[in-house]
Amino acid sequence: MDARLRRVNKEIADCKNDQSSNINIELIDNSPFHLRGSFEGPQDTPYHGGHFEVDIVIPDSYPFQPVKMKFITKVYHPNVSSASGAICLDILKDAWSPVLTLKSTLISLQSLLCSPEPNDPQDAEVAKHFMTSRTSFEDTARYWTHVYAGGPAPSIGLGSTGKIGGALRDEVAIAGLERAHVDQFEAIGFERNKVIDVLRRLNYRGANVAKITDDKVVEELLKA
Amino acid sequence: MSSDYEFSDDEEYNEYDDYDDEEPMDVEDGSASSEEVDIGMDEVDDDDIKVGSEGKKTYEVDYAPLTHQQVKDLMVTDIEYISTIFGVDSYVAALLLRHLDWNKDRLTEKYMDNASSISIAAGVSPVPKPSYPVSDRSKRVTRSSKSSKRLGQSSSSEPFLCPICFDDTTTDTLALSCGHTFCTACWTIYTVSKIRDEGEHRILCMAENCGVVALDPFVYKVLSEDEDAAARYDELLVRNYVACNKNLKYCPFPSCDRSVSCPAASSRSALFTIVPTVSCGADPKHKFCFGCSIDGDHRPVLCAIAKMWLKKCRDDSETANWIKSNTKECSKCQSTIEKNGGCNHMTCKKCKYEFCWVCMGPWAEHGTAWYSCNRYDDQSGVEARDAQSRSRASLERYLHYYNRWANHEQSAKLSVELYMKTEKKMEEMQLTTDLTWIEVQFMKKAVDVVENCRTTLKWTYAMAYYLQNGNQKAMFEDNQRDLERAVEDLSELLEQPIESECIPVLRQKVTDKSVYVQKRNEILLEDTAKGYIEERWKWNDVVVDTL
Repeated sequence: MDARLRRVNKEIADCKNDQSSNINIELIDNSPFHLRGSFEGPQDTPYHGGHFEVDIVIPDSYPFQPVKMKFITKVYHPNVSSASGAICLDILKDAWSPVLTLKSTLISLQSLLCSPEPNDPQDAEVAKHFMTSRTSFEDTARYWTHVYAGGPAPSIGLGSTGKIGGALRDEVAIAGLERAHVDQFEAIGFERNKVIDVLRRLNYRGANVAKITDDKVVEELLKA
Repeated sequence: MSSDYEFSDDEEYNEYDDYDDEEPMDVEDGSASSEEVDIGMDEVDDDDIKVGSEGKKTYEVDYAPLTHQQVKDLMVTDIEYISTIFGVDSYVAALLLRHLDWNKDRLTEKYMDNASSISIAAGVSPVPKPSYPVSDRSKRVTRSSKSSKRLGQSSSSEPFLCPICFDDTTTDTLALSCGHTFCTACWTIYTVSKIRDEGEHRILCMAENCGVVALDPFVYKVLSEDEDAAARYDELLVRNYVACNKNLKYCPFPSCDRSVSCPAASSRSALFTIVPTVSCGADPKHKFCFGCSIDGDHRPVLCAIAKMWLKKCRDDSETANWIKSNTKECSKCQSTIEKNGGCNHMTCKKCKYEFCWVCMGPWAEHGTAWYSCNRYDDQSGVEARDAQSRSRASLERYLHYYNRWANHEQSAKLSVELYMKTEKKMEEMQLTTDLTWIEVQFMKKAVDVVENCRTTLKWTYAMAYYLQNGNQKAMFEDNQRDLERAVEDLSELLEQPIESECIPVLRQKVTDKSVYVQKRNEILLEDTAKGYIEERWKWNDVVVDTL
């Protein structure tokens, strides 16, 4: 049997048998070389309680070349692209070793969530946020965990809509958006809640703002 | 038996090759009427091949072409040296040297300072971990297979499970000094992938975070089935050595494995006084500059100035310059407009806006007399016109040099065509006269001379563009003119139809002219090279600012 196939099959089987690590690997289609891995957000982090899914592609030269991984679940983390889910981690590049397995790599991703490396960022916007205001960053990360990864609702949730100015700003900031952008579309006549929801979904932040036309936003708002 | 025969055949062939290169002139010696010409041709020949024996010219540098094997010998010398003073195995010495980019002095210093730390950093010895035995890591990685492994271990006689391919049937295993054991098949695939796909000569142990590097015998052992990869590994090692050594450079021509040693041009500052054109010796076409990455011979221009010129030619800035000096923009729709008629009453083709070419204001304000635009501030009008004419003058100056530069480049390329024509002529001559093939070689030599000198001429225009006006530049341009005139004469001579009765005359003329052209080329190169050393050349502000 092909060595790569044997190895991947064994890795998948091992992962199934091992309940202690809470790492899951499953097939996406019939090919054993395109998989979906998942794990729980680590405790004592804003990601706690979330369930994170990772897209796994096994290259032809595996395990001598690194496996390709990216987050399917949106993650607010300096080393993960907030738009594409691409991951910046040394073992997925030059520090890869053939003895590393899918499971050990997923464990490394889990621990990456515990210890961000803002000095070697994948997402500069998020890294800036992390560096300038840690609390605000964690609020957003927690909020994203709630919205995208099924985590618990944060204490300052969306429920407290439009009461006082302070609460409003928090809500916008937590969603990782800019107040001016929200105001802009609210001024057209859409509900603030909807605007925040749509802009968040479109990832209307940083360089993306230039890429997404106002028409597109309005179209989405009308659909919502 | 048959191989012996082939070998001797090869040798004969080589001798014949040598004969081709050296002998034609001797034959001419006998048949030519003028001795002077023959001496001249001999010089030409010497020049073509390499540095003349009777002393180096100022525009040439000392260099030595090296074969793959010769570079390897140099490597071995360095390795043996380190191996002897450190008292280590020569393969270990090789790893240490590669780790410190072949800097023997730094290595000696560091090794004397702390031998074990440099050994660990170079990947010679594993990181010592007293509390964790070596097997720990592989255990952790295969932890997932704990249950099955334990079963296998207790019940069967197979003690080894490769942690990479999970093959438990193989008994053929290997490990580096760190003890991480993997099956030989995995080692081979891994090493081939490193060498082929990544071009990496540092073959690290496959275990996670293990910095031990495979020694050469280990690499050759796992590559014993794959000769191509072994050869590639060999080449990577030599390339690494050449890249680390300032005095060496790899021949840039595709699939050429030779190098050139040129200590005279190893420092950056040397490149401000010499133009180190070298040849690896594999083929007369394998001529390159040791100091920069420009293909071929860019004498007499210095590397930095040649680079600047090429960049200028490539840049779109010149196009922009042209547009700036020849066009204006419609003040309504911003389309670029070139004025092609006499009248200043312009109508934009695109937006139909009517305006005055002089003041760019709307035509409606001018009424019938366009003079009304003299109401604009006089001073600013003069300035604007001055700026435009200055820009235009500088553009014209650039184009003057660029056109001549490009023309010589084009002509040098056409010389390939000319050579084909010449070859036909040479065949013709052999049929129509009793001249032999060797005797008509003068044509080929002449074509080579033309091509060579056109390359020089081409670059003289880049040089002249950057030279400051003055006596020195005037003298330079005199030399340039003499060479150019001579080259054009020779070119014309070569393109002439051949009549059999005038072949001896033509032969005489071409040979004479070739010698003269070669002389002019030498004079020009010699003079510029001396000028660099005497710091005679005065550059434009552009150059002064950049250098």
